[in-house]
Amino acid sequence: MKLRRSMLFVPGSNAGALSTAFIYKPDSIMFDLEDAVAQSEKDSARLMVFQALRHPAYQEIETVVRVNELNTQFGLKDLEAAVGGGADIVRLPKTENADEIHDLEARVARIEKACGRAVGDTKLMAAIESASGVVNAVAIATASKRMIAIAIAGFDYLVDMHTRRSNGSEPELFYARAAVLHAARAAHIDAFDVVYGNIDDDEGFLREVAIAKGLGFDGKSLIHPKQVELLHRAYAPTKEEVDHANRVLAAAEAAHRKGLGVVSLDGKMVDPPVIEEAEMVLQRAQSS
Amino acid sequence: MKVMKEAIAGTLESSDLLVKVAPSDKGAREIVIQSEVIKQFGKQIKRVVAETLDKLSVSEGSIVIEDKGALDCVIRARVQAAVLRGAGSEETDWGTLS
Amino acid sequence: MNGTDDFYTVQPKDAPPEMEEIRKLLASNNLELDDQIEVFVVSRRQGRLVACAGLDHYTIKCVAVADDVRGESLSLALGSEVVTLAAARGQFHLFLYSAPHNLPFFRGWGFYPLVEVPQRVVLMENSPVAIKKYCDSLREQRRPGRTIGGIVLNANPFTLGHRHLVEQAARACDWLHVFVVKEDAWLFSYADRFALVAAGVKGIDNLTLYPGSDYVISRATFPGYFLKEKMIIDHSWAAIDLLLFREYIAPALGITHRYVGTEPFDPVTNNYNADMKHWLRHAASAAAAITVVEVPRACTRGTAISATEVRGLLAHGDFSRIKELVPTTTLQFLEARFPLDMAATR
Repeated sequence: MKLRRSMLFVPGSNAGALSTAFIYKPDSIMFDLEDAVAQSEKDSARLMVFQALRHPAYQEIETVVRVNELNTQFGLKDLEAAVGGGADIVRLPKTENADEIHDLEARVARIEKACGRAVGDTKLMAAIESASGVVNAVAIATASKRMIAIAIAGFDYLVDMHTRRSNGSEPELFYARAAVLHAARAAHIDAFDVVYGNIDDDEGFLREVAIAKGLGFDGKSLIHPKQVELLHRAYAPTKEEVDHANRVLAAAEAAHRKGLGVVSLDGKMVDPPVIEEAEMVLQRAQSS
Repeated sequence: MKVMKEAIAGTLESSDLLVKVAPSDKGAREIVIQSEVIKQFGKQIKRVVAETLDKLSVSEGSIVIEDKGALDCVIRARVQAAVLRGAGSEETDWGTLS
Repeated sequence: MNGTDDFYTVQPKDAPPEMEEIRKLLASNNLELDDQIEVFVVSRRQGRLVACAGLDHYTIKCVAVADDVRGESLSLALGSEVVTLAAARGQFHLFLYSAPHNLPFFRGWGFYPLVEVPQRVVLMENSPVAIKKYCDSLREQRRPGRTIGGIVLNANPFTLGHRHLVEQAARACDWLHVFVVKEDAWLFSYADRFALVAAGVKGIDNLTLYPGSDYVISRATFPGYFLKEKMIIDHSWAAIDLLLFREYIAPALGITHRYVGTEPFDPVTNNYNADMKHWLRHAASAAAAITVVEVPRACTRGTAISATEVRGLLAHGDFSRIKELVPTTTLQFLEARFPLDMAATR
């Protein structure tokens, strides 16, 4: 089970960031060819990302490429660079409906065949950045077997909703977060929370992380390397949680040895989802 | 690929490089490299640049590089970007860029 | 969205509100706003203007970074933005003037020193090899001889006065190298001026004519020359241009003598001649001294022939007088370009 707590955004045009992002050991690195890159630099950034994807340092870390929307003059070339360069995942921005995922999948398959990559090897994720995206979240999340995650992108979404961040209890994001989460759970894929833009406010960042974690988000999109460790620590299980997880897994192990079909702990039945969760807790504990 | 006009790619920032290409007036290929780490890495930078140009079949042109400590993958990317801009080329044969 | 600085451009001619902030930032760095600047790159942090750099054709000017944000990355990002902007405007060979103590800052921008007026100013260009390559190409044109002359002509247009100067110099030298100023800043374009010079010096065999160069009286090396209309007299700019000539051009060609016409009319050119004697001959330099020869202007009817007069006569269509001032080749060109039935413009 792949841990996806931290997805660190790296602007494709920023050589310094490209050269050092792997040092911070995020769970995933997202090379951005879209909003972080000026139009006049799209060609150069695309080559930067293509070459970085092939660099030894990025072979051990999960790589994501955020391509430009496919109906722009950049999108298809970005896709060729991403898939041909060996990115693990392609992130489609501003996903509005399931058809866009079908279309993306078909194009990716063609490129995989053309460049000799195993068809199906490249995974997909969708970013929800609008009301339509939110409303179609379940269809989007289940649109393809390649889908492994769905993210909510707060800034554009709120513009579409005619409002903005309130920096308080954030009711303006509640429905979108809930919708994306439910879609993720229904599709058995990961859910990513919004970017926290104020890199000088660690406390505010951690407050938001607590909210997201409490809601059940698997991870968060990050825009600064220092947020990686803050996030991992926040997602680290407590000692009690780790102890409990160990006991759950021990019980499962014992039941398996005894050939029992049902696992129980402290007189209560332990379902498979609980066992999965225990495994995730231990994984988070090991990685922090 | 032929460099038909002057072009630049990259930046002056740390870990990056600025690449300037121009058509050659002598039918030759000339690579000039300036780097803070020229002593330790000058040869390697030159090798990476030459390989990148070879793969793009650039046999003529002036290539001037201001290096700020870039990794090989960044050097490749910026040289490719400058050459493609200088050649006025939209097409990308990913085989020649690998 | 991310932590990088945002840069954008402003054009002074649009009189944007930024100009006042730019002026203040420059003043705090002991710089005055240069009104020749066509476009500025600026950066803001939390609404405050913290960095600026101006571009005047292919010369970078008025670079300032607020004290409290002076750190490596902003300065380098500023440099990248300016260089990229210049490239988008078709300018790849760039120059800038730096106070000597700022040399390391601009080395970080990929600029290399060319000449220095000691303790005053350094002219830099954005290439480690451009001047060397230019000199190499000049060196291929070297001619043997003890007396090798050099002339830099604007020729706007080429007159009998210019012809006289060239003839006198060619007579006195084993070989004469003539450069034409390359900027398109006057009534006659560089292409036209060069063609008229080439036609006008035909028959002088010990002469090589050179196309204009960024290194010989250009907007970059001698900005004051291009502001004659404003009667601006600026001695340190002349020094830069002359030092370039003395330290690079002359050695490449073996030039021992520089020829100029006496300048009775124009204060800027007159001061330039005086500066020439100082910087080419008397000032301390590692490069050999060059003898400056002022050749008295050719006259007709008691007045020195001047291109300015020719341009004035053109405005009135007075070709009978023009005929006395220019060679046939120039006259034919002027008659074709400014037919009498068309109102001539200055």
